[in-house]
Amino acid sequence: MSDVRTPGSTSRGVKSLATAAEAGAHQREWFADLRRRVAAGEPFALLNADVPHEIFRTMDIPYAVGQWWASLVAAKQRSGHYLELVRRRGYPDYSEQYNAVTLGAAFDPEPEAGPWGGLPRPDIIVGDASGDVTRKIFDLWGREPGVIFYPLESAAENEVPVNWWELMPHRWEQAVGPARLDLLTAELENLVRFLETTTGRRFSETRFREVLALVNEQEEWNRKARDLIARARPAPLGVVDSIPSVMLPQWHRGTEWARDIARRFYEEVRERVDSGHAACPGERARLMWIGRGLWYDMGFYQRFQEEYGAVFVWSMYLAVAADGYLRYGDDPMRALAARFAAFSDQLYTPPWSSEWYVKEARLHGIDGVVHLVSDDPRGSYFTARALEAAGFPVIEIHADNVDTRTFGDDVAAQVGRWLEDVVLT
Amino acid sequence: MPTALAALEEAYARSGAPAGNRPDGRAPVVGYVGSDLPVELLTAAGVHALRLTGDPGSGSAPGDRYLGRGVDPAARSVLTRLLDGSFGELDRVVVSHDCEASLRLFYALRELGRVEPGAGLPEAYLVDLRHLPHRTTTRYNRRRLGEFAARLETWTGRALDLAGAVAAHDERRRLLAAAAELRRTVPARLTGRQFLAVVNAALPVAEHVALLRRLLAEAGRLEEHPGRRVFLSGSDHDTPHVYEAVESEGQVIVGEDHSFGDLAVEGPVGAGGLDALAEHHHRGGPAAHRATAGERAAYAAAAVRRCRAELFVAYCRAGDEAPAWDFPAQRAALDIPAVLLERQEYGRVDLAALRKEHPCPM
Repeated sequence: MSDVRTPGSTSRGVKSLATAAEAGAHQREWFADLRRRVAAGEPFALLNADVPHEIFRTMDIPYAVGQWWASLVAAKQRSGHYLELVRRRGYPDYSEQYNAVTLGAAFDPEPEAGPWGGLPRPDIIVGDASGDVTRKIFDLWGREPGVIFYPLESAAENEVPVNWWELMPHRWEQAVGPARLDLLTAELENLVRFLETTTGRRFSETRFREVLALVNEQEEWNRKARDLIARARPAPLGVVDSIPSVMLPQWHRGTEWARDIARRFYEEVRERVDSGHAACPGERARLMWIGRGLWYDMGFYQRFQEEYGAVFVWSMYLAVAADGYLRYGDDPMRALAARFAAFSDQLYTPPWSSEWYVKEARLHGIDGVVHLVSDDPRGSYFTARALEAAGFPVIEIHADNVDTRTFGDDVAAQVGRWLEDVVLT
Repeated sequence: MPTALAALEEAYARSGAPAGNRPDGRAPVVGYVGSDLPVELLTAAGVHALRLTGDPGSGSAPGDRYLGRGVDPAARSVLTRLLDGSFGELDRVVVSHDCEASLRLFYALRELGRVEPGAGLPEAYLVDLRHLPHRTTTRYNRRRLGEFAARLETWTGRALDLAGAVAAHDERRRLLAAAAELRRTVPARLTGRQFLAVVNAALPVAEHVALLRRLLAEAGRLEEHPGRRVFLSGSDHDTPHVYEAVESEGQVIVGEDHSFGDLAVEGPVGAGGLDALAEHHHRGGPAAHRATAGERAAYAAAAVRRCRAELFVAYCRAGDEAPAWDFPAQRAALDIPAVLLERQEYGRVDLAALRKEHPCPM
């Protein structure tokens, strides 16, 4: 029996890119240094993924990203431990696990036993008030001694132009709309004052512009890499390589290291394309993964290569780096607000999300789409509908991306049958 | 002539039903969703406003398909009923951003209108009011209210009578607050089920106000309800099913913290036009989807004392997870027994769990 049909197995995936290995090594060194800085008394911020880290980068306030930490916990097969800590406090362990796992760190009686020595206790938490639960989770954390939660609004718009990916780099005012931009710009100005007051750090406008320029340079390299991978046949790499090569630098955006490794990632992809390297020799199907990363089983993405010649060439992580972050303009704070005032809409709100996935599927020559549907309100119908209407077969798998309890033993077998019956026919 | 309570209950039974003949034959019929929707503006525009509610007794497969099963089933039911025409002919649907389910409902309506226009759904409009307690949010809400007011004027072709509408709604809130006291007396003179009817009777504001005045005048003739006094926290109840089930066990729901009950009575707006209206709906009550656990716990402690509840029941519907995060802080803030009922089915309540934890002395 092949590996595909083995139920309940998880694996980490085999990375082969030098930049993926370098990013992993850098992350460990950075986190060790972070712990040293915090131990020496520097302020430490825990930030949600979709809030403006660039302000903290500008002010040199050490920070970590909640979703990164949750992905690390899941990869270490420890999410159950932290969800149990949440449950013991009387909170639901079945609700917004991506953030709840990180909250569990606050309740850990032995925090140093956590991955990589454990997450330091944050002084400041910043998250957006999206959904019904996110604000509650971080507000609860903010009730812990010495922790301040600074929430940002999550606003919505009535009418939006569909082609956000064309508008965002320069015409973001048109894409996002002035009401949301005015709101978040004002909130960010207030955030700077709050940080200046609570940390004693200064905000330099010159440094801010440098940070924003570095971010745009980094995402431009990611855009070039995305375009290259989309056109290349066979696929030069799969998502097990592209995700760490993009996302670990993404959490360091605004640094020269992140900009430079994004360039080296592009060059590494270029070399592979030029040499005809195939991530999956005998490639028969190019797959798209829609949804958050399956952090507890990254090997899932390579499980269909040998038997089916099916390779995951697309995840949102490189694609949204390519299309979702670039913002140019003369008003840096408003441009930064434009990056985040509608960030999750790009991924989860039709028509933006659904039309973008179709655009990306076409660009990459996708043969089939595996859609991870979590038990949360983001829904999946319009994504699947748009892709299927455009001729792309879609299979939905229902699971949470950090909670292993929700991942069925037969998921890989289902995907295997779908490949046989639908994609490869 | 039926009593005012009977008339209110009869009007409540019609809630969520088609508007029928338009009162003046011309006024647009606007369905709305959301606890913080500024209904004063709908009244000011002279439209016929209908709060859209679900129906746990009928299927919700179309709503489940479009919204996904991670969304509050009440919203899925509303979408299902919109698709099958249960609300009759609506000119528009206006949705507020009171919770994620409402926002997702708006997105589904907007997208269905774009990609499946044959579904025949009315045009949807979002009133995006937010609730962080900051001036930045107040200013944002004021802007959104202004946009909505302008849109209503475009729809109706006439200027809004905001002052008159606010005065009418404030009077309704004042009378509802008095009616709420009838339920808080010991023994209660209204059941929780009756109070839902009193608050949510599907009536134009003027008719509602007239019936509320009669209700208060007839208060001395209301029955007494001596059951165990329950405070019901958690999910919204857009239908009476859960109230009826809980009260069928010899209990009376004397207070709650959701938008179809006591939280609908918060007010008044007062003078001040759109600025005051924006502040009113920004402030709102501490509903589970917009308040912190600490705010919810403080409210629960005060409300339980005010209504002299003997048992606190936190009811959390499956797909509506926010209230479950409030429960530990609420329980810590209370000096009465508290029970959490998690992942409940829409319109149903696990009475066995309630009996097991806190048997009612019948």
